[in-house]
Amino acid sequence: MEEYRVEECEHDDNNNKTEEDTQMVESEQNNKDVEVAPALISVHPTQNSVAVAVGSDLRVFNFLEDCAVTLVDESGGASHNDSIRAIKYGANGKLFVSAGDDKLVKVWSTESWRCISTVCSEKKVSAVAVGNDGFHVCFADKFGVVWVVNLPGVDGAEVPLNKKAVPFLAHYCSIITSLEFSPDGRFIISADRDFKIRVTIFPKKSLDGAHEIQSFCLGHMEFVSCLAFICTSDCSQGILVSGGGDSTVRMWDIISGSLLDTCEVGAKAGQLNSDSIEGNCSTVTDICTIPDCTLVAVAIQSLRGIMLLCCDIPSQTLSVAKVKTATLITIKTVINSNKGWFSLHVLETCFITFA
Amino acid sequence: MLENKANPTINKSTGLPRKRFYRARAHSNPLSDSHFPIPLSPSHVDHSLRYPQLFPSSDQFDSSKKIQFVDIGCGFGGLKISLSTLFPETPMIGMELMDKVTVKERILGSRVANPGPYQNISVVRTNSMKYIPNYSEKGQLSKMFFLFPDPHFKEKNHRRRVISCHLLDEYAYVLQVGGIIYTITDVEELGEWMKSCLENHPMFEALSEKELDADHVVKLFWVPQPKDKR
Repeated sequence: MEEYRVEECEHDDNNNKTEEDTQMVESEQNNKDVEVAPALISVHPTQNSVAVAVGSDLRVFNFLEDCAVTLVDESGGASHNDSIRAIKYGANGKLFVSAGDDKLVKVWSTESWRCISTVCSEKKVSAVAVGNDGFHVCFADKFGVVWVVNLPGVDGAEVPLNKKAVPFLAHYCSIITSLEFSPDGRFIISADRDFKIRVTIFPKKSLDGAHEIQSFCLGHMEFVSCLAFICTSDCSQGILVSGGGDSTVRMWDIISGSLLDTCEVGAKAGQLNSDSIEGNCSTVTDICTIPDCTLVAVAIQSLRGIMLLCCDIPSQTLSVAKVKTATLITIKTVINSNKGWFSLHVLETCFITFA
Repeated sequence: MLENKANPTINKSTGLPRKRFYRARAHSNPLSDSHFPIPLSPSHVDHSLRYPQLFPSSDQFDSSKKIQFVDIGCGFGGLKISLSTLFPETPMIGMELMDKVTVKERILGSRVANPGPYQNISVVRTNSMKYIPNYSEKGQLSKMFFLFPDPHFKEKNHRRRVISCHLLDEYAYVLQVGGIIYTITDVEELGEWMKSCLENHPMFEALSEKELDADHVVKLFWVPQPKDKR
């Protein structure tokens, strides 16, 4: 059963090669010579466990019991057959999603670590998001279409469901780099490589599609690479921050789409780096926030370490608070945080604490 | 017909560009990121450059006069020339992906030949399927035109059609409540497709017969547009 389904997904690539497919495949083949999929890390909202994905390998470590977790997947073998591109825990901590180049989106229960649902995507997946209520999983494919899957009343003991995903919204022919739900669950934010961030109202009936766009956050001068929300008790709606290839971190009001402030992190990193590695490569590779805190951690390609930004909510500005350098060899750093500590994943996992 | 020696591409009697010298490829690839400049956001669109009479200086931006009509895939701009006389004070813009079709020259030609009107029309070379939110704010437009869009017959190319369920979300965003989309085609299958996309989209509804009869713009579609003067 599992094999049949996987074959079905791969089959369309060969027969329906459109010009777009050819363009995409060519650029990927060129990239494959140079890059491997970046290592990914994601932390459970209450710090129970951490998940790490390296290539096609997915590993979870349980902090409460201080041991590695065995993932249970009905396919028996490796859970993913190709590079994993996106992993995420749901905000309520019950679900975990992994997806990537094998065109499979796997939803796991974080209690039993069984794969409770495998969804087939037509194209490779570039980003995932889990609804705050734990009932919706959204994923974006490389053609800019965002799909949604409903998981009503899911509980780890049920027989694995293989649900069909429904197309939900789309960025026309753009690769979506990041998908996030707003903290109050009203909106879904999607960012793409064509410098755009779209804020869409998340509908009550998700299977009918998300047609009402709230705003566009326009201002990045290069691709948008990452999104995160600052969420504190006096600002429960959340402030969106985004990082991009233009070496900036920007703060947005998602209701109006207006740009609140811009922080030129690339320039600031350049000032500190006396031995810059690749010249001007200061792409913001990842950003991360802590719940109930106005700090934002930023990973920049040319910076060996992390830059901490502080968001001042009344004046709606972003400023550099601290830079923590580390003697690590990094090409891409990915950060995730919870309750005041950050983890920096390089070639080996390494934990840095910020008091 | 004698041709102007200095510029044989301009028709001597009307001063307008002659289409035969602007041989355009029928299709342009909307996926390739051609190098045309894109405004960072709608507030970065320079109105004074395009509509010198309506917006004398770029500092005094009169916010009540924003672009209201957009013609997607405007080609030679024939529709806008006609619309301009019907709505002389409304700034309107045409978007066209192909660059050989130098609509700008036709507009400039029209402005020179007929001083006074045509001050409210302009054209921009851009991929409207990707960048419409860069040109228009939410609810800014009152009319959008999609005349004779490319049918993209093959099913695998249906995603490239300019009217599709996903793109209608963006058109709904830039159109004001009560704004109107006009579309016409001579390909029956495409007509059915567009009708079905629009009817199934929760943010659009069809105009009634009465509303259609009352709308002057609809009558323009049945007048042969002057594509060129050969």
